[in-house]
Amino acid sequence: MQKNHTSRTVTVTDPTFIEEVRKTPGGEKILDCIQCGICAGSCHTRFAMDYSPMQILKMAHLGLKQEVLSSKSIWICASCYTCASRCPRGLNIPAIMSAFKNMAMKNNVPSSTELKPRFHKTFTDIISKYGRMHEPELQMRLTDKTSPGALLHNASLGVRMLRKGKIRLRPHKLDSSTHFSDICQKALNAQEEAK
Amino acid sequence: MKYAYFPGCSIDASAKEYAIAAQAVNKYLDVEFVEIPEWNCCGSIDAVHAYNPLLSVSLAARNLALAENMKMDVVTLCSACFFTLSRANNMLRENMDTKEKVGKMINDAGLKYEGGVSVRHYLDVLANDVGYERIRQQVKTPLKGLKVAPYYGCLIVRPSGIRRFDDPEHPMSMDNLIQALGAEAVNYPDKTSCCGASLVITDEEIVMEMARSPLMTAVNAQADCIVTPCPMCHFNLDAKQRDIEKHFDVKIGLPVLYVTQLMGLAFGLHPKELGLGRNMVSPSNVVEKIQATNR
Repeated sequence: MQKNHTSRTVTVTDPTFIEEVRKTPGGEKILDCIQCGICAGSCHTRFAMDYSPMQILKMAHLGLKQEVLSSKSIWICASCYTCASRCPRGLNIPAIMSAFKNMAMKNNVPSSTELKPRFHKTFTDIISKYGRMHEPELQMRLTDKTSPGALLHNASLGVRMLRKGKIRLRPHKLDSSTHFSDICQKALNAQEEAK
Repeated sequence: MKYAYFPGCSIDASAKEYAIAAQAVNKYLDVEFVEIPEWNCCGSIDAVHAYNPLLSVSLAARNLALAENMKMDVVTLCSACFFTLSRANNMLRENMDTKEKVGKMINDAGLKYEGGVSVRHYLDVLANDVGYERIRQQVKTPLKGLKVAPYYGCLIVRPSGIRRFDDPEHPMSMDNLIQALGAEAVNYPDKTSCCGASLVITDEEIVMEMARSPLMTAVNAQADCIVTPCPMCHFNLDAKQRDIEKHFDVKIGLPVLYVTQLMGLAFGLHPKELGLGRNMVSPSNVVEKIQATNR
């Protein structure tokens, strides 16, 4: 582990955490994990994580809710499903990681980077507004506008893509007769109520 | 063969050339795409799904319901859309709680989904509905001597529980297709590695590390180009290639073609008909090599 665990003196465990995970679609089998490590060895983003997927699962078993939800790993999972296709116990690890992200956002757990929760929220916001992704808007809303370097870097690729006709300037908005926005509004309301 | 065509958001913008080339080769293969009217975002693998899973599955269900009304199976060019729509399809069939909740969401918008649609990736359609023999018959300029690295990426073969048309560890459908076109599929250990996908938006450095590996492995295998069936892989390997070169101070210069573009070249179509001018890394070496061997 990269973290210095000897410095921690008080550990708060939450025995209800594992039940919470088991109730989410894809999380049902979390207790079947035998800590074999295939997920950790298969993970394509392990190099950027603080805990391996195997460690995250063990931490969840132990009820270390705060540690799991504030870890970097849950946000670094790229949902490539290599671990899930190899897991001998059939755990859907990316779905579990996704459920952790959901819990972290619902409980406003401080993330290692505030950009990650903002990415999910902004993406959802744009989809709810138009029905389809509008990449320039996503990029604009997420770029750190106080950093000239970041702005320039994104603008450089943006211009090259624009020249190649790879950027849609105006978003495509679904026709109002589809009642698309009603579906989104209802799903967002249901989420608020569940909080 | 008619399919309910789900383009997806990338195809609608950054990956247009993938669809341009698909439509061009479809004419030779008796495949017809009928676009799902007023389709919406597939539901996203994780961007929407982690924030609001109910919304994500409802988005997918709306598309599936529209396709069911068309009485056709869904085909998509995008591996991520393929995965997301398949996942939702599974949940709507197997998870009664999801089925009920999502059913309510789309019922109010006048739609109903009975679970009768199959979700297919275009590569699956090519390999299993069209077949390699039929593809071989359409080849006018065989890609003799061209070395191609087949990059499958993740979501097309890996997810369990959804329609699996190829091996998750060592897929061969695209290798076989490349060979049917007369080219050589190089031995490519990175064929199912992950490009990092949408992490490119929030964690660019991680993605540059992840995308560098399949690029360098292809260079080391002396491939003339990489071929991919996924818009996200294409973005990270093609559009980000210049940034990767700068970041690691390496020269790569490897064209990344969509599988449909490679087919089009073998069918003797003009690069313009295949949107090859839109690729960020110029594929001129590939085009020239094919022209030289077929002179």
